[in-house]
Amino acid sequence: MTSYSVVNSRAPRLDAPDKTTGSAVYIDDITLPGMLFGAVLHSPLAHARILNIDTSRAKKLPGVKCVVTSDDAGLVKYGVSPARYDEVLFCYDKVRYVGDEVAAVAAIDLETATEALSLIKVDYEELPAVLTLEDAVAEGAPLVHEEYARNIGAEVHHEFGDVEAALAECDLVLTDTFRNKRQDGAFIEPQGCIAEYDPKGNLTLRSSTQSPHYVQRTIAMVLGVPIGKVRVIKPYVGGGFGPKVAANSMEMAACLMSMKTGKPVKMGFTREEVFLYGRARHQFVHTLTTGVKKDGTLMALKNECYLEGGAYSSFGIATIYYAGSLLGGPYRLKNMKYDGYRVCTNKPACGAQRGHGGVIARAAWEQQLDRIAEEIGMDPVELRLKNMMEAGDVSCNELKMNSLGMRECIEAVRDGSGWKEKKGRLPKGKGIGMACGFFVSGAGFPIYRSETYHATVSIRVSEDGGTVHVYTASAEIGQGSDTAFAMIAAETIGIPLDSVSISSGDTEFGVDLGAYSSRQTLMTGHATKEAAMDVRRQILGVMARELKVDISELDLKDGLVVFKHGRVDYSHVRARYIKEHRGWQGLARGHDPLTFQEAARIAYLARGTIIGKGKYKPGDLGGTHKGAAVGTSPAYGCSAQVVEVNVDMETGKITVEKMTDAHDCGFAINRTSVEGQMQGSLSMGLGEALFEEVKFDEKGRILNSNLAEYKIATSLDMPNVTPIIVESHEPYGPFGAKEVGEGAIMPTIPAILNAVYDATGVRFQELPLTPERVFMALRSKERKTQQSTGEH
Amino acid sequence: MKTLINLKINGREYEVAVEPTKTLVDLLRYDLGLTGTKKGCGTGECGSCTVIFNGKPVNSCLVLAIQARGAEILTIEGLKPAQGLHPIQQAFVDKGAVQCGFCTPGMILSASSLLKKNPNPSEPEIRKALSGNLCRCTGYQKIVEAVQSVGKDDERR
Amino acid sequence: MLLPKFEYHEPKTLTEAGEILRAVGPDASILAGGTDLLVNMKRGKTAPKHVVCLSRIEELKKTAKEQEALTIGACLTVAGLREVEQVGADFKGVYEAAGSLGSPLIRNLATAGGNIVTARPAADLPPPLIAYGADIKLMKENGERILPLEEFFKGPGETAIEPGEILCSIVLKEPPLYSGGGYEKLGIRRSLEISVVNVAAFLALDGPSGAINEARIVLGAVAPRPIRSPSAEGALIGQEPDERLFQEAGQKAAEDARPIDDFRASAEYRREMVKTLTKRALKRAYEEAKVREWRRWK
Repeated sequence: MTSYSVVNSRAPRLDAPDKTTGSAVYIDDITLPGMLFGAVLHSPLAHARILNIDTSRAKKLPGVKCVVTSDDAGLVKYGVSPARYDEVLFCYDKVRYVGDEVAAVAAIDLETATEALSLIKVDYEELPAVLTLEDAVAEGAPLVHEEYARNIGAEVHHEFGDVEAALAECDLVLTDTFRNKRQDGAFIEPQGCIAEYDPKGNLTLRSSTQSPHYVQRTIAMVLGVPIGKVRVIKPYVGGGFGPKVAANSMEMAACLMSMKTGKPVKMGFTREEVFLYGRARHQFVHTLTTGVKKDGTLMALKNECYLEGGAYSSFGIATIYYAGSLLGGPYRLKNMKYDGYRVCTNKPACGAQRGHGGVIARAAWEQQLDRIAEEIGMDPVELRLKNMMEAGDVSCNELKMNSLGMRECIEAVRDGSGWKEKKGRLPKGKGIGMACGFFVSGAGFPIYRSETYHATVSIRVSEDGGTVHVYTASAEIGQGSDTAFAMIAAETIGIPLDSVSISSGDTEFGVDLGAYSSRQTLMTGHATKEAAMDVRRQILGVMARELKVDISELDLKDGLVVFKHGRVDYSHVRARYIKEHRGWQGLARGHDPLTFQEAARIAYLARGTIIGKGKYKPGDLGGTHKGAAVGTSPAYGCSAQVVEVNVDMETGKITVEKMTDAHDCGFAINRTSVEGQMQGSLSMGLGEALFEEVKFDEKGRILNSNLAEYKIATSLDMPNVTPIIVESHEPYGPFGAKEVGEGAIMPTIPAILNAVYDATGVRFQELPLTPERVFMALRSKERKTQQSTGEH
Repeated sequence: MKTLINLKINGREYEVAVEPTKTLVDLLRYDLGLTGTKKGCGTGECGSCTVIFNGKPVNSCLVLAIQARGAEILTIEGLKPAQGLHPIQQAFVDKGAVQCGFCTPGMILSASSLLKKNPNPSEPEIRKALSGNLCRCTGYQKIVEAVQSVGKDDERR
Repeated sequence: MLLPKFEYHEPKTLTEAGEILRAVGPDASILAGGTDLLVNMKRGKTAPKHVVCLSRIEELKKTAKEQEALTIGACLTVAGLREVEQVGADFKGVYEAAGSLGSPLIRNLATAGGNIVTARPAADLPPPLIAYGADIKLMKENGERILPLEEFFKGPGETAIEPGEILCSIVLKEPPLYSGGGYEKLGIRRSLEISVVNVAAFLALDGPSGAINEARIVLGAVAPRPIRSPSAEGALIGQEPDERLFQEAGQKAAEDARPIDDFRASAEYRREMVKTLTKRALKRAYEEAKVREWRRWK
């Protein structure tokens, strides 16, 4: 059993103290000299042709420094994937949703900028809009984009094995159609940015983003600025959860206006604009057909999914793949067919949100598995155990389980929740339910075709003092990545955590694809470890020569040089150090152990500044089918959850009373952080299951673009979670670590659905389970029962 | 037209000229450089702008600066002692109650207000006191545990 | 989010407030807690030229107990309302409603008067106040008037308040022996909620185990204003209280409700919930009524 000095502990997070004192800097906290304030003009119509834009009055308003439209921005198309670049910075021919960006203004203060917006006159010719999936794909429906016939922006068809043949052999085949509603990321900090263009042509953007790298590339491409002159810096970010991964038009508008005015331009979304921008979870309608043998062996799955994607593709091009591919695990399934259709509508674009396309697919399927278990008379836990994959298995869609602690997770929640004692024994209105989940540990490929490394890290050793500084372009967005990388560096080098500092989120520090697809711990963690090994090797290499021993005799641990065998005379090394530090107090002397501080100093004297470099790119992930790029990953996290609910049968109100969650994160770099990610994921899952829904009126305007009517869980809604960390030691993860940030949400919605069924006898195929939805279904069931038994 | 007002923030006297339309949160953040108080929604629905106003935690986005004339205000910056952290701040660090940190100042101030009135609150009491502060990252549990730990251990709230 | 420009006035006394209101004319709004007005101004729903802030007028924040009436100043905060001893002891329905309003932060700003005068159909305080038979005192430059709160509401955002008039106080008469009140609110989450439906009940019994002498059932969020339910009350008066009776009262109350479909809930669901919430509010009221002894109000 390896013992670790730093990793696998509950080390307090490095950024926590500053966040508790209010001294942590977020984008809106920053002021630059001469700063202008910008605002965006949004379309008030869901679908309209732009006939004319008159900015003359706005430009004349005293205090206005810049008004820009597509005439200034140009028409370079962008998006998330080059396969679907279907957006331009400002609409030029038509607007496609209420909120679509038409122009922007920069002025001396926000009041003036806002007033200027009201002076921009846009002549629209309103067009009929499509606001639902059904309307959008109907024959003769108006097109959101001319190039997407029938408003289908993307279509995926996969088949692995032979589903029809397998279904024919099944003893039981069930079909269900399940739907959720469009969600919002609802991070507490709205997006914001400050763009700064200097006279030498350097463009610096500070932004509340999850991926400085992707934003940098998009700005360079769209605005035509040489990428070597574009720098993106991320301050602390108040939550991302997906919508903050891609560049948004506000960021580009700020850059453009800074370039035009020569002044820094600050912009921020109001809470309403956060909703208008969207880029959060799609609405999915899944029709799943699953076939099993009577002994519970899973044979085949047919999955047809329609995604309501809003006006642009955004991350939806990846979502549509995840909605199919992530059902390839964690169960052995030889035959799987997936047909996905991402439909455009005249609503804000949808993108990626925690768990991406896997969350609703998982919700639908795990509830169906429970239905199957009930029909064949099998305990739902047993059905999962019977079918689960194990480490070494490969899914039908070529996902390799190099590690998979699915059994440990299921057994942990079964035993930790009292499942056996409670299942089938709770009174009416109370229920217990379980589900499993599965997610990638980083997308196997970047969103743009490239051979780029997914993460590069450098570690600079101070020339004196024995401290190291980790430089990474990765994004600390609240999940604790900065602390995790500092811990990995400290452990690998062999020094205490407080000898490590970290700077992150800046494109000057390297390449990092950013915080999405739950990738950073594994991928950036790897690069950090490699850089740290490089530092170790350089320093110990010098020491080996100085001390005339083989490098294999040396080690570093807890800030000290360790000699594996026998005594080594290091007095001459120490003497050199002491000579350079005459007058200093507290130096190591005599036979005190040789310190990293001294070794690092000597290494500097020998080699100059010691810098370790690390990089990471996934190895060959397999997957030869089209779209294999989305879904294949170096590793997969998995989880299981048991939830207990109490349903007020008279009102339909659901209380989630207890949650037991086990997550296989491979290896917990920081145990507290892993638990925190589990608990946070579960609170988002609970919100999506019970309350969350973006609502529109008949003109495509959002009815609940605020945090009172878009309801995330409050402290009174969220119960305590018993988090259980399972460590399956992923061979391709640094120290065996893999993901937790997104996978943990996967079992939540279905565990709640299954518990609600247990409590009420009703299966819900539509989210959210608001009190009204539950009550109406209960009443309907009661009436059916009365009719069938002839009671009144 | 601006009005000159006097108010006390974190124990220090301020004299500032404010327009009627200036909210307290904007005064703190943009005029006085006290950016620890955050803005998440502007309409009293998220709690990230919480300050203690004449002894009570309120949404500072719904208070006009001019209404704060003569008031005593505590912001998150006022909680920290010269050395180290306030016990509630330390508890948040120790218990892993901080993730993105954006709700944290508001949570800490709401918690401090509770602990002043109720030094040893139960879990339901803590959850109720924090029910105006939204968090999207933590699921609230480690925040509740942090507040509970202060209740048990410390006199200096 | 920016506030539209306005002129700010901060009277020190009620008299001064009345003078200012007369002077500035109708394009003026009263600011008390700000939890309604400032939100609407930020959202562009209203842009008054003048804002008259009442929160410095001491007499509007006072509570007094005289003879058999509790007078609550209109600018007392909702949190402050809960701290008034008599409210917790004798007006439980009001106490519970106040505790369910918004959030702890909102309750430290929002005022009792504000929750009345904004006349939102789903507001929390009006139903229990009406159930307890509250009166309100309104003041204008040339005098004051008192009217039953029940007669104050006309429709969403509309009340019987006259131009230049200020809501000063709420008057609650000491409830009789063996009486009790209850409030039930249905929201989607457990905090920061506007009621989908709410119901307040008041019962006065003829002795600790006696029949029902008085019954008032007030329904919120199921009509343009809070409404009494004469059908439910009729079913209750003179009857022996029990579970079955409360159920019946609930059914009757649903008949008086006039809910609409909106983005929060359907009319059908609201009507069903009136049944359940009425029953539950009555149960609460009954539990209290059974044991309420005469307490000399000091």
